[in-house]
Amino acid sequence: MGYVAVKAGEELIQRAEDLFEKQRLADEDAPITVDQLEGQLERLTAQAMSEAGLYAPRLAALAVKQAQGDTVEAAFLLRAYRSTLERWDESVPVEPSAMFATRRVSPAFKDVPGGQILGPTKDYTQRLLDFELEDEDESGDPTADWDLEDAEPTTLTNVVDVLREEGLVSEPDEPDVDAPTDTTREPVTFPVERDAVLQELARGETGAVTALGYSALRGYGQVHPTLAEVRVGKLPLTIEHPYTGDEVTVADVAVSESEAVVPVYAKRDDPQFAFGYGLTFGRNERKAISMTILDASIQLESEDEPAENAEFVLDVVDGMDSFGFIEHLKLPHYVTFQSILDRIRAIRERKVAGTTDDEAEPAADDGTDPAECESSESEPSDRETIEASDDD
Amino acid sequence: MTETDDIDVETAVSADSVEAALEDLEGEGLEGYNYAYLDEHTKREVRRAILKAIAIPGHQVPYASRPMPLARGWGTGGIQASLSLLGPEDTFKVIDQGSDESVNAANIRRLAADTAEVATTTDTTDADVIQTRHRIPEEVLTDDQILVLQVPVTDALRKVDSSDAANRRRHAHKNYGKMWVHLYENVVEWGEINIAARYPTMVAGRYLMDPSPIPRWDVPKLDDADNLFVFAAGREARIYAVPPHTDVEPLAFEDRQFQVERFPEQSCAACGSTDTYLTEVETDDGTRHFACNDASFCLKRQDDPTLPKDHHLERSGVDWGPGTPDADGDGGVAGDADDGGDDE
Repeated sequence: MGYVAVKAGEELIQRAEDLFEKQRLADEDAPITVDQLEGQLERLTAQAMSEAGLYAPRLAALAVKQAQGDTVEAAFLLRAYRSTLERWDESVPVEPSAMFATRRVSPAFKDVPGGQILGPTKDYTQRLLDFELEDEDESGDPTADWDLEDAEPTTLTNVVDVLREEGLVSEPDEPDVDAPTDTTREPVTFPVERDAVLQELARGETGAVTALGYSALRGYGQVHPTLAEVRVGKLPLTIEHPYTGDEVTVADVAVSESEAVVPVYAKRDDPQFAFGYGLTFGRNERKAISMTILDASIQLESEDEPAENAEFVLDVVDGMDSFGFIEHLKLPHYVTFQSILDRIRAIRERKVAGTTDDEAEPAADDGTDPAECESSESEPSDRETIEASDDD
Repeated sequence: MTETDDIDVETAVSADSVEAALEDLEGEGLEGYNYAYLDEHTKREVRRAILKAIAIPGHQVPYASRPMPLARGWGTGGIQASLSLLGPEDTFKVIDQGSDESVNAANIRRLAADTAEVATTTDTTDADVIQTRHRIPEEVLTDDQILVLQVPVTDALRKVDSSDAANRRRHAHKNYGKMWVHLYENVVEWGEINIAARYPTMVAGRYLMDPSPIPRWDVPKLDDADNLFVFAAGREARIYAVPPHTDVEPLAFEDRQFQVERFPEQSCAACGSTDTYLTEVETDDGTRHFACNDASFCLKRQDDPTLPKDHHLERSGVDWGPGTPDADGDGGVAGDADDGGDDE
C-alpha cells in the first residue's frame, strides 16, 4: 500500500515531538528556567497572557518555554489549559483611578493632575544593538545608588474623567455589571455588545490588533485619536468575600491601559468627542493603544472601513483562530483537491469541445431534455477530451 | 451515546478548594483532567446544541466553542462534539481525508482514547461514533452510528457574502437568491457549476447547508440516511445536523444537474474498485495511479473484491451515494451499483 499520500501513526507523532524538544535541549547549555523567563522576558510572558485571556505569570512563563518563544503558541497552551478550569467568581469592577501606575503619559495635555510619569521605557532610547549584553555575566541593579525619598504612592486622576466633567466626551453606554458578557462562554453573534468587543480585542493577537489599528490611522478610517493617557501599572483584583460580603482585594494584576478622545462628533446639537478604550494584561502599550483605536472605530458603527466593521475586526483579530486555520492548510487536502481537479478538467473539456466542435455549445444551451443532454451529448465528448487534456 | 452525567467522580477535579484542585491536577499525562477532557457543563452545552440542531435540520446553532488542546481548524469542533457524545462503552473511529492513519486523525484518536477511555477502531462498521474530516465512509452507516463531520466554514452563503450577520438574515427568510445567481453565473461563465467540494445543499427543503468540504461524491449519502450526521465547527462555533431520513438535495438546475466527481476508466490500483471515491497519486517514476480514498474499506476490498458497501446489513441494495463511476453522471444511486457498463 504505497498509495496513500500521508500515512503515519502515533509513533511518528512522538518522534516529531522528540525532534521539536531536541531543538530546545540539544545544546550544552543549561535549560532556561521558568524563573528567568518570568523575570527577564516579561514582555513575552505578558503578550502570552494577554492573548490567552488568562492572568497567570508563572504559567505564561512555562508556556513560553514550552513553545520555544512562540507567543501565539504559548497563548494557545494557556487558553487550552484555561478552558479546563472552573470559573470560581467574578471580580468587582474597578475604577481606572485605582491603578498604582509605574508609568503614565498624557499626550493630550502638557501637564495633568498627578503629573506625567515616564517610568521604565525605551521610547526615547536610541535603538542601537548593545554588544555588551553578549558577555553580560553579573546582574546588577543600575538604579541601586539612586537617592530616593520614601513617598506614599498616589492614585492618579483619570484624564478622560476631567474632560467628561466638562461635558466634552460622550458617555459610554451603561454596562451590564450584573451579567457581563464572557465570550469564552457564550458565542459571539452580531450585532455585538461593546463589552464583548472589548473582551475580544483584549484577547486579540498583538500583531493583528496593531495592524488593524494602524489601518485606521493610515487612512482606512476616520479615527485619528488624541491619547488622553497611557498607563502601565497594577490594578487591584477585588472580590466579594464569600462569607462576609465585604469587598476584599486579593491580588494585583499588571496591565497596560490607554484612553483616547476622537474628534468625531456624534450629535450635531451637542457636539462631544467620541472615545476609545484599551486594556491588556501586562506591559503591551502598542496593543493597548491599537485596541483603543479599534474600540473607537467600531463605535462609529460604520461598515465603510475594515477597522470600523465589528464583524470584520472580531473575525480576524483572534490569534488562536487565525493561527489554527492558516496552519491547517498543511493538513492533507487530497480529497478536496481531487474534487477540484475534476471540476477544472471538466471545464477545460467543455472549452476544448466548444472550440473544436461547434455543435457542442448549442446542444448545451437549447431546450432539449436535460437528462438526455447530460448523458448522451456532453458526457461522452467530455470523456474523450479528458484524455486529451491529460496528455498535455 | 452513553450516559455521561454520572461521571466517574475519581477522575473529576475537586472544586472544594484551590489546594484540592491543584492536588488533583498533579500526576502524569492527562490525569487530573475531567472525563473526556471537557467539563460536564460544557459537554452538556454541546449536547444541547446538537439536540437543537437535530430539531432544526440544517440550521446553524451557535455554541461556546472551547479552546481545545488541538489547533483550531484541525478538528476542534469535531472533537468537542465527539467527546460530548462518547461514553466509556463506545467505540470511536477517526478519519482524516479518508485515512485512519493520517497524523492528525491519529492525534485526535489519541486524545479521545486518553481522556475518554474509549475503544478505537479503523473498521467503519464497528464504530459507534466516527469523526471525519471531509469524507463520508464508503460503507453504509446504520441507525446506531453517528458521523461527526469537521467543519471549516459553516455557511454555504459565505461564498456570496462574507458577513455572517447578513447571512443569518438570509437563512431566516429562506432567501437564497444570491446563491442561485452565483450558480447561474457559474454556468454562464464556465458552462457548468464550478463548485468542487463544499457543495451547497438544501436540507429538508428549508435551510441551505454547507455540507463541509466533502467531495460531491459523498453529498447524495446525506439524503435519507439511516444515521445521524453532526457537523461541528470549533473556530466558527457552530453546530448543525442532518437527522436520519432527512431530504437533502444539492442545488442545481434542470439543465445543469448535480454531478459527482468522475473517474473515467479508472479503478483502484490496490483493490480494483470502480465504485469508490478515488484519489490520484503521482509516483516517483512519473506514472499516475488512482487509489481508494477510504483506506479501511479498500483493505476489505483487497480481501474480497466483490464486497458490497452494504455487506454488513440484513437488507441489500441500500442507497448510499453514487453507484459506479460510469453511472449517468447525475449523482446516480447505489441501486445502480453493479450495472455500470463500458461507456466507449
